[in-house]
Amino acid sequence: MTRPTPKEIKAIADVAGVAVSIEVATRIANSIGPAFEGFAPVAGTLPLDLEPATFVVVQAAKTPKKAAK
Amino acid sequence: MNVHQMSTEPALMSLTSIAQAIAEKRLSSREATQSCLDRVAQWQPRLNAFMAIEAEEALAAADAADAALAKGNNDGALHGVPLAHKDMYYDAGKVVTCGSRIRRDFVATVNSTALQRLKDAGTIRLGSLQMAEFAYGPTGHNTHYGPVHNPWHVDHITGGSSSGSGAAVAARLTFAALGSDTGGSIRMPAHFCGVTGLKTTVGRISRAGAMPLSQSLDTVGPLARSAEDCALLLALMAGADPEDPTAVTGPVPDYNAAARQSMKGLTIGVPTAFYVDDLDAEVARILDETIAVLKREGAHIVQVELPDQRQLTAACQLVLAVEAAAFHKRWMIERPQDYGPQVLMRLQNGLAIPGVSYLEVMRWRGPALSAHLAAVAGVDAVIAPVAPVAAPTIAESDVGNSPNAEAVIQRLTRFTRPINYLGLPSLAIPVGFTHSGLPVGMQLIGRSFDEAMLLRIGAAFQRATDFHDRIPKFA
Repeated sequence: MTRPTPKEIKAIADVAGVAVSIEVATRIANSIGPAFEGFAPVAGTLPLDLEPATFVVVQAAKTPKKAAK
Repeated sequence: MNVHQMSTEPALMSLTSIAQAIAEKRLSSREATQSCLDRVAQWQPRLNAFMAIEAEEALAAADAADAALAKGNNDGALHGVPLAHKDMYYDAGKVVTCGSRIRRDFVATVNSTALQRLKDAGTIRLGSLQMAEFAYGPTGHNTHYGPVHNPWHVDHITGGSSSGSGAAVAARLTFAALGSDTGGSIRMPAHFCGVTGLKTTVGRISRAGAMPLSQSLDTVGPLARSAEDCALLLALMAGADPEDPTAVTGPVPDYNAAARQSMKGLTIGVPTAFYVDDLDAEVARILDETIAVLKREGAHIVQVELPDQRQLTAACQLVLAVEAAAFHKRWMIERPQDYGPQVLMRLQNGLAIPGVSYLEVMRWRGPALSAHLAAVAGVDAVIAPVAPVAAPTIAESDVGNSPNAEAVIQRLTRFTRPINYLGLPSLAIPVGFTHSGLPVGMQLIGRSFDEAMLLRIGAAFQRATDFHDRIPKFA
């Protein structure tokens, strides 16, 4: 996952139906860019058999405390 | 100035105490309500904590509650207790602004489930509380209605987005208040204002009738004067709801009983990194002092090595940005001029994130939670700062005017967002004060749906300390 450029952001926003100027797109790129970079180590590494609902399964599982090391 | 007050003024009593006093007819609902209204009249010009004050209606409801009690009709655990809540909980027939210009005249047609359950327990309405516009701001600024001021130092922020809730509970204008926490919006006002705030597990309390910001991250929870009071409120609100399929089914634990237990023999983890990095010196000192109290009360303290929290923070930011933008898309097209500049800019951030990237972040949520739970397998809870600093000033955190504001916001939310992405419960409790008199809070982070453990530790800590009993003085 790489940080989108202002030009790409402008295009994505236009497709979404919320047009933004190139100045706004540049501001967005600077603002959200660090989040893309923060998630980059995970991006592209997930296995096929993983869907968002896995979260609910993990959340509902009983996870009792184990003896501390 | 920090003053520990012992007083017979009804508004200064805890939620648990006032409910008991009214039920036992030692105090009337009118006396409790008038006491709160007197404090509201005194503090509101200085704090701007209330969005709407409904004095006449509140007193009429209090009289009705007293009359009902005189006839032997007790509505529930909070009969006749006056409360005010963040102005995003739908209350049929009432204007619910959501802190916005866009919804300045929006009249709710339904009651939110959380609010309805508190009404069913007998509470009455004092009015509504200020908040960040559409709950999308961590400081307490609001372009349309002005900033909420911190009762401990009025030129400092309250934190947000539940800004009015934090200020009003701290100043004893209401016995408790609902907030909401999507990225830290209960815990930060609790930390900055010196009150107790419970961010619940995603799914613990129904979100039906609460203004949405992010369907994956939004949580409903209370800000109150103690963990004991939070337990009382959670017990009333938790549980399944046919109006919200994400609210989990199954039995609700006895939170009130949990809050009466000691912490002796429990194991509490202190993170080895991230949450202890780059702390303000006073926050670091207070963390050490907090750990010393936990040890003294019989808890075992161990270090825990958590997975990379920076990735969780980034994931939270990406999810929140997309979901908030999706909720607001229509108004972003039709009424962009009616948003505050900061909120509009933050909503626009969500436009930059492709669908595949969003789903990738959502797919990782299960493994990320699994990794966290494995890391904390040996402890009952983790203790960490809510924020690396005490409340900054309103001026220095004003995004509209300060070139450093974005950095200030990111720094403020650094320790809260990972918990929202993981959907975990977290209880913020006041644990000390800076030398300049600003409160500092710590968060106890638990396993999914284990709010009872956090309330147990929090209440035990508060039986051993008095930070939660201190009241800002009106000077």
